[in-house]
Amino acid sequence: MNRRTQTALAAAIAAALTLGLGACGSKDKSDSGSGDTAAASSTKGPGADTGTAVGGTPVKGGTLTVLTNQDFAHLDPARNWTLPQMDFGTRLIYRTLVTFKAEPGDAGNQIVPDLATDTGRPSDGGKTWSFTLRDGLKYEDGSPIKSSDIKYNVERSFSPDLTGGPDYAAQYLAGGENYKGPLTGEHLASIETPDDRTIVFRLKRPVAEFAYTATLPTFAPVPPAQEKGTQYDMRPFSSGPYKIESYDRGKQLVLVRNTNWDPSSDPIRKAYPDKIVVTQGLKGGQVDDRIIASDGADASAIEMPWMRPESVAKVLPKADVKARMVAERTGCTDSLYLNTSKAPFDDPKVREAVMWAVDREAQVTAFGGPAIADVATSFLPPSLTGGVKADPLKIPAAGDAAKAKDLLKAAGKTDLKVSLTVSLGDKTRGEAIQQSLSKAGIQVTVNTVDPSAFTDTLGDAKAAPELTINGWCPDYPSGATFLPFLFDGRTIKDKGNQGNYSQFRDQATMDEMDRIAALPDVNEANEAWKKLDEALLQKAPAVPLMWQRRALLVGTNVAGAFGAPGYAGMIDMATVGLKDPAKSQG
Amino acid sequence: MILYLGRRLLGVAGILLAICAITFTIFYLLPNDPAAAACGKTCSPERLVEVKAAMGLDKPVWEQFFVYLLGIFAGRDYGSGASATHCGFPCLGYSYEYSLPVWDLLVDRLPVSVSLAIGSAVLWLVLGLGAGITSALRKNTVVDKILTVLSVGAASLPVYFTSIMLIWGVVRTAGLLPYPAYHNLTDNPLSWASNLLLPWTALALLYAAQYARQSRTSMIEAMAEPYIRTARAKGMPALTVTVKHGLRSGMTPILTIFGMDLGGLLAGAVITESIFGLPGIGRLFYDGLLRSDQPVILGVTLLAAFFIVVANLLVDVLYAYVDPRVRY
Repeated sequence: MNRRTQTALAAAIAAALTLGLGACGSKDKSDSGSGDTAAASSTKGPGADTGTAVGGTPVKGGTLTVLTNQDFAHLDPARNWTLPQMDFGTRLIYRTLVTFKAEPGDAGNQIVPDLATDTGRPSDGGKTWSFTLRDGLKYEDGSPIKSSDIKYNVERSFSPDLTGGPDYAAQYLAGGENYKGPLTGEHLASIETPDDRTIVFRLKRPVAEFAYTATLPTFAPVPPAQEKGTQYDMRPFSSGPYKIESYDRGKQLVLVRNTNWDPSSDPIRKAYPDKIVVTQGLKGGQVDDRIIASDGADASAIEMPWMRPESVAKVLPKADVKARMVAERTGCTDSLYLNTSKAPFDDPKVREAVMWAVDREAQVTAFGGPAIADVATSFLPPSLTGGVKADPLKIPAAGDAAKAKDLLKAAGKTDLKVSLTVSLGDKTRGEAIQQSLSKAGIQVTVNTVDPSAFTDTLGDAKAAPELTINGWCPDYPSGATFLPFLFDGRTIKDKGNQGNYSQFRDQATMDEMDRIAALPDVNEANEAWKKLDEALLQKAPAVPLMWQRRALLVGTNVAGAFGAPGYAGMIDMATVGLKDPAKSQG
Repeated sequence: MILYLGRRLLGVAGILLAICAITFTIFYLLPNDPAAAACGKTCSPERLVEVKAAMGLDKPVWEQFFVYLLGIFAGRDYGSGASATHCGFPCLGYSYEYSLPVWDLLVDRLPVSVSLAIGSAVLWLVLGLGAGITSALRKNTVVDKILTVLSVGAASLPVYFTSIMLIWGVVRTAGLLPYPAYHNLTDNPLSWASNLLLPWTALALLYAAQYARQSRTSMIEAMAEPYIRTARAKGMPALTVTVKHGLRSGMTPILTIFGMDLGGLLAGAVITESIFGLPGIGRLFYDGLLRSDQPVILGVTLLAAFFIVVANLLVDVLYAYVDPRVRY
């Protein structure tokens, strides 16, 4: 779950933050981005919306270079929960029980078996999930991958020494409350491994989307013999197509082929390059410049941090460079949150007026234009609504000030004065809100807060501002990782709130959330989340503003690059490679 | 002399201890919580307590400080059970972010910062002293005026500006050099030097300007001393007068600032390393700050303090050789 405060300028200012800390925005998942193909042909790069990869199909061999401004936070699968690392780790170094299809567009949101033979078999009304491993799976040293190794890594995610990873295992598994991981010699009884190929998870409650949960790096194998505690981060033992040859933290990571990985056991990963070199610690802007220029080894390079907003002007006007830009939706929704705990937004009529007043097109423009963002029409991003944009309210993208004025008049609230608090980088977007609301007669004062203090400012329930802009990304394509985090009144704390910035507490909404969480059928649950999304739009605790795209550039010799919808638009490492391996260096 | 050295070394230890205590206390007082940062996004209060305990942050500040100090000399164990690792002497703690001993990180990054500091120091000494001495010897001539204007100009350019301009001009526009990256001196001396040329230049320009101004003033003062007149009067060659008598006495103040500057640079040039993408101590410090990696920040602070106080000590000792009037 992820609270996101990302903005164009914030990305620019917090150059170095984009990968690590700024991975707010980051370990989010999913979005198909196939909803508005009409707009795609004119403004989007080939990797965006069109369902194609930049550079065509790669040829096997060569050295792919990855340029980045920072080091990985964690490559240890029990601790890996920020975006570039999740894509990088699970596509290259270790495999998980289930994973996302390596295809652009909608298809990339679908899950497929990875180490397992299927996407899991639920029983006991969704409270027990069983997986069977494929035959003949091997680690980099040729030793067999056992189901107990997956159990071991899931257990590791409970260890207080191994922090930072996804905590879904701790949330879902029975008896996990007081468990402190396997390093002290204790094991978790709710994960059973009756034989070397079978693993059974017993959950506290039915979890319809557990197959999606099993795509997380927590569900990758770690052999107990390789346990090195916190040092495991330096050299995760490979079960995927590449193994670590050298890792000089903050400088360079070199991956070479794992000769014991059997392509016939892995229908997802294409593993085109012979070698992958990650060059770290570069300055953000230089990464863009180098890939635009594509000189020497940079022709065979891709970038990991977001393309910087100031590079947009260097990319879009040049057709040949634009053709090398991937811009898949991140799957996150940016919204304007209305503080429903106090006047004037405790009045649903006033909230509805704001919903109509906001000019969402101006938001997209302020962020950098339609090449890197789309107007949002619902809280749930298209990836969670079956690939199509849900638009139940049919409000014009530029807003309707006249209608908003009428609504305010009907509510008896005129001459409203409110304040909007935004992160420093969001100032332009804040001013766009100010402008559109002033047309409806609402005066807005824009306050900017340093990104480092922004979360704390919003998290304080009493001092929370009347309006704020923020974002949310689902962990995997399920409404369960989205709406409850934004609008469940029970999540409101005095301090440290994350998500429910509207402080929205509505009994009917909470009851419905509980009902949906208990549904054993994942399709039925998804339909119900969509209905709840519609109901929430009517109640207007927030205004969905836009769906950001992750703009990334690739070199002239790179092929098979597209934004992976399952990894928030990161370049899918499973399929990227080179056009001409002979032209790569190193 | 030995007594003096002993006294000074004790002072150095005292200063380092004080810096360590102050930095430690500042971190303790700061509102950010490294345990919460490590624990992750949806950390429950119970889990936070466990993580705090695992990181040793649940103990009172004096105890944490004592454990840290003791660890420097006696080493420490980190983690529990199968994951336990020993951090040997000199244990400056364990990086939260990198899961590596801070000492190892410092040793790993030091060659980059040393390369940057020494290389640029050579460059700025040659440029700065050359310009300063020339100006002093040609006082009030056109040459002096041109050099003065140039050095005032260079001194007023911030290093980030010069760095970006150098990259723009030399790398992006002219394509004369590749984008800088650090190459080991021992692997390939030529690419080591060519990759460091721009960062050296950026730093050297800034320092050279200051050294030119400073050395011009001290040289003018030195050359106006009566003993210079005497030396000239007794028919000593001009070069000997300038170098042996003028320069030697004029350089004492330069030695002082050089000690401080080099000491500071050895512990990392944060801006230069970040702009040129050099993985040195400065960059490590910067990343540590962004990620609240307290052990790294503390380690770099101590290292920087160590370099500066030791450089000062060395300068004081060297004084005795440069200036025969100084006796300890």
